[in-house]
Amino acid sequence: MTITAENVKEKDNKKGDIMSGRVIVITSGKGGVGKTTTNANIGTALAKAGKKVVMIDTDLGLRNLDLLLGLENRIVYTIVDVVEGRCKLRQALVKDKKNPNLCLLAAAQTRDKTAVTEEQLRDICEELKKDFDFILVDCPAGIEQGFQNAVAGASEAIVVTTPEMSAVRDADRIIGLLEAREEIKSYKLLLNRVRPNMIKSNDMMSVDDVVEILSAPLIGIIPEDTGIITSTNKGEPIVNDEKSLAGQAYRNVARRIIGEDVPFLNLEEDTGVLSKVKKFFAGLIGKEK
Amino acid sequence: MKDIFTDLYNKVLGFFKQTEKKNDESSKEVACNRLKFVLMQDRTNLTPELMDRMRKELIELLSKYVEMDKEALELGFEQEGSQMALMLSIPVLRAREEAEIEATLAEEDAKKAKEEADAEKDSEGEEDESNDSEAQSDNEADTEEVEAEIEITEEPQGQEEDSENNNSSGEENKSSSSSKKTKTAKK
Ligand SMILES: Nc1ncnc2c1ncn2[C@@H]1O[C@H](COP(=O)(O)OP(=O)(O)OP(=O)(O)O)[C@@H](O)[C@H]1O
Ligand SMILES: [Mg+2]
Repeated sequence: MTITAENVKEKDNKKGDIMSGRVIVITSGKGGVGKTTTNANIGTALAKAGKKVVMIDTDLGLRNLDLLLGLENRIVYTIVDVVEGRCKLRQALVKDKKNPNLCLLAAAQTRDKTAVTEEQLRDICEELKKDFDFILVDCPAGIEQGFQNAVAGASEAIVVTTPEMSAVRDADRIIGLLEAREEIKSYKLLLNRVRPNMIKSNDMMSVDDVVEILSAPLIGIIPEDTGIITSTNKGEPIVNDEKSLAGQAYRNVARRIIGEDVPFLNLEEDTGVLSKVKKFFAGLIGKEK
Repeated sequence: MKDIFTDLYNKVLGFFKQTEKKNDESSKEVACNRLKFVLMQDRTNLTPELMDRMRKELIELLSKYVEMDKEALELGFEQEGSQMALMLSIPVLRAREEAEIEATLAEEDAKKAKEEADAEKDSEGEEDESNDSEAQSDNEADTEEVEAEIEITEEPQGQEEDSENNNSSGEENKSSSSSKKTKTAKK
């Protein structure tokens, strides 16, 4: 059930083909809830923490991970080139601009979900496990073949959802499917786009509500943050921004994945407009709240 | 000077407060309740039609043993951690006489035996409406509520919360049956 740090000590046991990498699929059911954003940020944060990380974009035909990482101009080969034998797996891995610990295996933009099979993805993951501490698989939306493929090589899953009914419902569906797959040993919930002031006014389900409804363990709470959009514009994951709250939240997720016990950020603190107004006036009047 | 600011402060605050209007039920509560309901359907593959049928069949079955307030029977799912439970709440109007129960059962057994015999020739399963001894005495006696819990054991790994054996009879309640009671009964 828990994601542990057990198999991270790769350097000590490099006895030939010992498989040490952890394959984590990032999935959601519903589209647009932040899978790719999560992938880019967790991957970057893990690499910054000194881990060797490779990200696989399995969203064939709708690739985006390259954009979020600012690597779109460096892609020569894709995962489809690998499975169709046009290049070696190594050749298709694109190194990150800043962090040599971080690589991307891009999706093919011109092909559909059938271009790669479950078996092929499993093989690719097995191969990558030998050289990387973490293999993060970016899953397409939906529960069809694309999902099945992405999950195939993974043994852990992060289910991304937002505190909205449709996203939670789809997450529940995904959890059901993950539970049915023997190779998935653990899954955790990542709650994205949380708006503390809406929660406060009882206009959004709270973190506790979602966790209770899905009864799944939580690995992260990411606030709604316009910085995510601007960082995407720049092709630079928000974890690189030391001042960003969302960046902090993602860095915490990475630390939890590594096995650290990191408390959840208290997003419920007054950050809304109302409280800002309150604080502003409180300052003028000269009394604290 | 200070007063002006205080005044302004309250005005601005009042403006924002208006947008934060709170109804009796917040939209978040509505969302949670709707979601819980729909997830139970998703998880059990039970559509409202099937639930309705289950309800009817349960009434038919249980009527043989107790006389109950059919309108007030409540059937639904509840979640306790990772465990799902089928909750049945039945306001009992009157206990049936032992003889009455036996008569109903004997009648049913006879019917079954006959059906089996018929089946040997050629069969068509006829829907039987065997609750003729029904005689719906309208409730004068205060009703006991029978609460049953049927655990659906699909046990996803992790937290086990067993030993929540709630004795099904026991509790006496008013006829205004709200299934919320069952939840507290379990804890
Ligand atoms: N915490 C956040 N705050 C603000 N915007 C966000 C946040 N998370 C994601 N977004 C925005 O939501 C949009 C969808 O995000 P993303 O592409 O990561 O989702 P996805 O689940 O990968 O989508 P798809 O299902 O299409 O692959 C993007 O525009 C992204 O910038
Ligand atoms: Mg995506």
